[in-house]
Amino acid sequence: MEIGLGLGILGAAVATLLAGIGSAIGIGIAGQSSAGVISEDPDKFGLTIVLTALPGTQGIYGLIMGFLILFRTGIMGGEILALTTPQGLGLLFAALPIGFVGWYSAIYQGKAAAASIQMIAKRPEEFGKAMIYPVMVETYAVFALLMSIMIFMFLPF
Amino acid sequence: MAIAKMKKVYLIGHQAEKDCTLGLLQRMAVMEVNDLQGKAAADAAWAELVENDREQESLQELEARLAEVRFALDFLNRHYPQKKSMLSSLEDNRMLLALDDFNARAADWGRETQEVYRELRRADEKLMSLRNEETRLQNLRTLLQPWEKLDVPLEEVRTTAQVCLELGMLPNDELAAFRTALSAAAAEGFLAEVHADREETYLLLAYAASSKEGLKEALKQFGFNRQDFVSLRDTAAENLARIEEELRQAVAQRQAVLEETKKLVACREQLNCYGDYLVMERDKKQLVNNLTRTENAFVMEGWVREKDLPLLEQKLAADCNTVVSLAREPEDDEAFPVALENPPFAAPFEFITTLYGTPKPRGIDPTFALTPFFVAFFGICMSDAGYGLVIAALGAWMLWKVKLGAFARRIFKVVLACGISTVIFGSLIGGWFGGLIPLAPLFFDALADPMRMLIYALAIGIFQIFVGMGIMFYHKASKGKWLDAIYDELFWALFLTGLILFAFPQTAGLARVLAPGAAVGLVFTQGRTQKGIVKKFISGLFSLYNVTGYLGDILSYSRLLALGLATSVIAMSVNMLSKMLGGTVIGAIVMVIMLVGGHLFNLVINILGAYVHSSRLQYLEFFNRFFESGGRSFKPFKLNTNHVNVTLD
Repeated sequence: MEIGLGLGILGAAVATLLAGIGSAIGIGIAGQSSAGVISEDPDKFGLTIVLTALPGTQGIYGLIMGFLILFRTGIMGGEILALTTPQGLGLLFAALPIGFVGWYSAIYQGKAAAASIQMIAKRPEEFGKAMIYPVMVETYAVFALLMSIMIFMFLPF
Repeated sequence: MAIAKMKKVYLIGHQAEKDCTLGLLQRMAVMEVNDLQGKAAADAAWAELVENDREQESLQELEARLAEVRFALDFLNRHYPQKKSMLSSLEDNRMLLALDDFNARAADWGRETQEVYRELRRADEKLMSLRNEETRLQNLRTLLQPWEKLDVPLEEVRTTAQVCLELGMLPNDELAAFRTALSAAAAEGFLAEVHADREETYLLLAYAASSKEGLKEALKQFGFNRQDFVSLRDTAAENLARIEEELRQAVAQRQAVLEETKKLVACREQLNCYGDYLVMERDKKQLVNNLTRTENAFVMEGWVREKDLPLLEQKLAADCNTVVSLAREPEDDEAFPVALENPPFAAPFEFITTLYGTPKPRGIDPTFALTPFFVAFFGICMSDAGYGLVIAALGAWMLWKVKLGAFARRIFKVVLACGISTVIFGSLIGGWFGGLIPLAPLFFDALADPMRMLIYALAIGIFQIFVGMGIMFYHKASKGKWLDAIYDELFWALFLTGLILFAFPQTAGLARVLAPGAAVGLVFTQGRTQKGIVKKFISGLFSLYNVTGYLGDILSYSRLLALGLATSVIAMSVNMLSKMLGGTVIGAIVMVIMLVGGHLFNLVINILGAYVHSSRLQYLEFFNRFFESGGRSFKPFKLNTNHVNVTLD
């Protein structure tokens, strides 16, 4: 196997694992907060589940990047490409934005979500506002995914 | 399309018709009744004319009855829980009943309810004492269990003139030392181990009464924990058997009580209805606390939508003819409650606005403007026509096949609209179940040409931001603040247009004039609230920095592309992974499960994302341009019934 292909696979792994770690931590933080609220008022389950699930999207974005790389290199469903080292590095670099931003943004989104969950425990009618704060964090994960995809799409091969 | 015009209304009538007036208001649900009782304290002239009204006694009576009904319902729900389907919280299963029937039946219900209540109260007390008895027996059983092997009857474990017999526990590691101490203090002493657990040994201790004093110190020192079963006779084993029997009886008795009350489960519906009736009456009496009165008249104040006023006056004249209504426009600085009014296609989307906040009374209702954007954004974020069909089908099925409550109806109208939008955008730029149904997109494939999609996404963003500025321009202009409208909205719009035009070679010439021109306009006008020419100029210059805010807002719309791609890529991955499994029979089954499960997962995750991000683009990027929240929503006095749907004439 060429080094290039290996670097590409590393890219797929990095995108999925870093963003996945972040989402796991983020949902964990939000989930603890939700469980506390639910113990007081089980009727708020529907509201808290939306906020708890928000930090999960980074993991999905990382997964998307991982799949894109696997498709492109032909490891999944195709003919395996013989990538040069620069090409493989290109794929690895494409994975970095969503990997790292996904990782950190999911954790901080989880914290913002946990605070918002506490907020709707007291004021469920302010759900719209409570949703905004975690979603503002998400913006940067979306931007990172976008940049990852752009790098990926415009790699010259 | 806007915020409803409100009138402040005073109703003045004879006390005899107060109840009739309150009933009418409750049925019509058109008037929010203000609390006038603070006013007397603040206004001396007012206080001289009227006094606060209240009907404390009848209110307390109703509250007491309501507490009985709630007790009975609580008892039934605790011991005979109702099975609820997933849909039941959305469904409207209320019993249709005309108001006259409702009132007529309430008297019967009241009598029967009282009997049900008494019976359930008795049962509850019985259950409570049985539970106490059970707890007592269980505690005693725990105490006795270690002594089960002791064959001395408990009444014989006592102190006589010659011999002391005692039961007690010692920590296991003290036992040996205690034996030594015992033989030293009382040579005749006898110690039998009845039982031992991990920590303690249960002992029967016998010694001569003459050694009592000598042994006292040793018993204390080693922590001999004496157990007395003063009131018990016979051996521990016999006692335990008796306790088991009594416990069995208590359980049987409890079941008998519950069996007895089971027939009352049939009354649950009636209790619910009567509870509704009591709430209806209670609410009326409670509202009296907002009213003031003179010797013979009552006065109430409130807000009524302008369009509801004629009907209210007409009904009042028909039903309660001494009541006079006086209506006036709100004063210029008077805050009135905000009711949103929108055409039928936009009205269901009001919840998106109110989740963010209620507009100010003289502000703007953004619902009408956000509706097309929200629906379109949702469709673009989902961007899979197959998923759109599923969402639309869910919405349509709920709307046509399930009898929904008012709020749920609105939600599922939004679901239907978003589903249809997803079908449209999915067939234009996406696929069908991630390519499972191989139909080419009608416009272009966003996944293959993301750059093109990015430009469209940003263009949509620019368009929405301009719409927002347009709304603000119109709002300011319609209030006569033409200059503010031009300086703050038009100049910015021209400046941004100029910057955008730089992007195209054909229009760069125009841009070279427009952008600097508008920038100069901004520099000279944005500092107009500052004092002093230098401050004005510097503040104006710095205002140009706001362009970064606009830039950020526009870039934020790139999420439309990213979320659309996310749906497509995951859907494709699900298809590809499933395809690898096909071939054998078991493989085919797993493949189908994986296809359905994978797409369902993707659908749910992306509905969450599409909803959240479509809302966010409204709340932050769009509302920023023109929306001010901080109003109080209109809460008319109305019927609050959960089980009876009172039909009006």
